[in-house]
Amino acid sequence: MNSRSNQQPETIANVLRLLPAKWAIALIIAVIAYVLLQPRVNDWFGWHLPSIPAMMGQEEGTPSKSSAKNDKKASSSTRRTDKESSTSPPSSSDNKSSKSDLGARPSAGSKTSSPNSPSANDLKFGVLKPIGRERYESPAGLIYGPGSEEGHRLEHIQRHLTDQPARPGSHGVFEGDMTAFLIAIDDAYKRARGHAKGTKQREEEGAIVYEAPFDRAIGFMGGSEGKRRGNPKLNRLRIVVRDRNLITAFPTQ
Amino acid sequence: MPLPYLIYVQSCPTCGDGLCRIRVCTRGDRLSGCVVCDECESVWTDPSLHEKFTAGLEAYSACCPDCMHCLWEDQCHWADIQEVCLLGWYDKVKIART
Repeated sequence: MNSRSNQQPETIANVLRLLPAKWAIALIIAVIAYVLLQPRVNDWFGWHLPSIPAMMGQEEGTPSKSSAKNDKKASSSTRRTDKESSTSPPSSSDNKSSKSDLGARPSAGSKTSSPNSPSANDLKFGVLKPIGRERYESPAGLIYGPGSEEGHRLEHIQRHLTDQPARPGSHGVFEGDMTAFLIAIDDAYKRARGHAKGTKQREEEGAIVYEAPFDRAIGFMGGSEGKRRGNPKLNRLRIVVRDRNLITAFPTQ
Repeated sequence: MPLPYLIYVQSCPTCGDGLCRIRVCTRGDRLSGCVVCDECESVWTDPSLHEKFTAGLEAYSACCPDCMHCLWEDQCHWADIQEVCLLGWYDKVKIART
């Protein structure tokens, strides 16, 4: 280890001798810029760029680039495992990977190692990352922001957790809590965007309507029409988005 | 104060779950009305649902075809029966007790 660190300055000096002067200067400037910016970039973006001493193996406790990568991998696989092990609401039969996503219930154990990544407590409904101005982003990239008659999209879609039997027409009701609903929406959105089997998508002047099937019922038809028909089970989810902004989502036939 | 009845034109042809309802805007010097889906927020200029309105000053919100401002602000509300009559749309709507 010691001999390795003693050899390094010699190696660097040899490399600098071989390089033309302007390239050597450019290299030194790049190294200085990296030293100055590395901690800030790590802070801003939650990256794990190693410091120069860490790269040279001279700093204990600082992860090297490869170990940082491994940490990331490990944390993401931990998150995956948590998702897979939790109880899952209905999911698709045609997309096994999304099946595990649907069951995701972020827990304290699913926290990533990055100091800037929000903890489970910071996540709205345990799923949505706050991105400022009452806006939240789902793991699949859907944005839930202010809007709608209720004032916020989250409040709007909450209407679909309960039946409104007096409401004319049909009213899709999701059977589960808000977290399960948000996870189902994300799952359906990902599959529909990926044109998975059984999904649909169509453009509607400024909005895109996605629809995805689930392998079992996710809710039932409420409203006066649902009541008249004996509240049939529903196994599809329809989502309306503008850009990445969710407008509404509800179970449908 | 929510109305004891719900005025609507039909189920929404865009999302299939919402109701196309009459929304009035009182920002201008006259009553202005449009049709809005209470689910997906599609906006039409009148109950024929022929002309969809997609412009407006707020990108991700339903906007009034007259003043272009958001239809969810205090100056706007769901039309009552009197307002629907004033707009001349009474024979185009259905009324359900809630």
